[in-house]
Amino acid sequence: MSIPAAAVAQGARRVSNGGLARVFLRSLFLQAAWNPRGMQNVGFADAIGPALAELYPDPGDRARAVARHLEFFNCHPYMAAAIVGGAVRLEERVASGELPAQSVSSFKTALGPPFAALGDGFFWLALRPTAALAAAVTEPFIGLGCVLVFLGLYNSVHLAARVWLFAVGYLRGEGVVDAIARAHFASSTPLLKACGAVLAGALAARSVLAAGLPDRPFHALLVASTIVGAAALLPRVGVTRAVYAALLVGLALGARFF
Amino acid sequence: MLPLPPGGLLHLLLLAAIAALAGGLAAVERKGAFQFMVSRPLVLAPVLGWLLGDARGGLLLGVPLELLFLGGVNLGGSLPDNESLLAGALTAMVVPAGMAAGTGVDAPLAAIGLALLFPLAMFGRRLERASEYRNGQLMESAVVRAAHGDPLAARVNLRGLLLPFGAAAGICALAVMVSPLLAYLRAGSGEGALWALEGSWHAVWAIAAACSIRAIRDHRAPAIAAISAAGAIAAALIVGVFS
Repeated sequence: MSIPAAAVAQGARRVSNGGLARVFLRSLFLQAAWNPRGMQNVGFADAIGPALAELYPDPGDRARAVARHLEFFNCHPYMAAAIVGGAVRLEERVASGELPAQSVSSFKTALGPPFAALGDGFFWLALRPTAALAAAVTEPFIGLGCVLVFLGLYNSVHLAARVWLFAVGYLRGEGVVDAIARAHFASSTPLLKACGAVLAGALAARSVLAAGLPDRPFHALLVASTIVGAAALLPRVGVTRAVYAALLVGLALGARFF
Repeated sequence: MLPLPPGGLLHLLLLAAIAALAGGLAAVERKGAFQFMVSRPLVLAPVLGWLLGDARGGLLLGVPLELLFLGGVNLGGSLPDNESLLAGALTAMVVPAGMAAGTGVDAPLAAIGLALLFPLAMFGRRLERASEYRNGQLMESAVVRAAHGDPLAARVNLRGLLLPFGAAAGICALAVMVSPLLAYLRAGSGEGALWALEGSWHAVWAIAAACSIRAIRDHRAPAIAAISAAGAIAAALIVGVFS
């Protein structure tokens, strides 16, 4: 079902700012009861609860609305903020009789998968590794301060994005798609990954240098070979086997068995 | 007599309580609530280390663990290994062991601890799966309650946090309680064994560096990383020659 963005945006607001704030806070627990059948459904129904309480004073109507939101729902937990905000907006119009209840369900079903793919690519596969690598590279110079580097880099983007997504979802309803398309999530992902790769290289260099360059070139060469070999073999070997193999080889080398 | 932290058994029990609380909260934060990345090894290990009395020791464990699990991603229904449970338990075991042994957290302690506890990452994944099936029961109860007209049916949501909290808290507390055994092993190791264990820790770091390259899921990543590494090594050598 297609809902004109302008029409959604023009609808009268019926949920208070306090109600919206409570919905946002509860959306931070979206995955508390993540389950294989409904995925984030319980979290979504719980998150939107404060808005439903204002829109449906009758407990029976409210329970029916809650039941509707207990349908299957899955998205990236941060990007879902936009859908939660948009669903509140649509529920306002459903409660006033302007839209059928099915429109909220259609909105959630249509936006969940593409937003999930966008969020996975940007937050999980680009921002988090890059922020962690930046922290790991700076650790020899700033020690414990690297923890703040990681949390600062990651959360300055993540928290701002989460608040903005919820706000824009609520204010624009289905028009949130246009807003997110202009936010360059997808286009900035390759750039972030490239930064991450540069940092990963610097980290590998750190390991090689720490192993003994320039005084112990053999040690450095050994570590460099291990990094290259492991990077090539990891998909087949897996992290667990690689770690135990490394522990054993390191043990043997350290004990001078070779 | 097993070596204990400076305050004796009471101190050990206090550390176990602290580790249980921090480990449990981290398990909740990892997926069920907030996801501010406080439960990542890079943050959890130094923070828990600080709570237990050795933040730098926690950092020594946290950085390589973070890199080892950098590529683990929770996509849809797939579950990665549970890096937070491992980071929490490893810190909870190694930091008090370092205090008891009088060495602080060092490479040999870290290597023994990692070898003993690494399977916890996979066990944590199974635990998470069990928790998800338990959440399925919560969902069914919510659906039934909503169908019977209960407007607060979805409030069962937060109950989904109990199992991860309890399981992680118990494991972290147990890790502290067995830390004297690790301290005993460390204290009883000869010089040769300590050298060997140090070698093991360096090898783990090499694997961690390789994992960090693989974590960037982009076909250009290995080439970019190689150029960056060569440049960094060359720069370091030049600076070293001229300084």
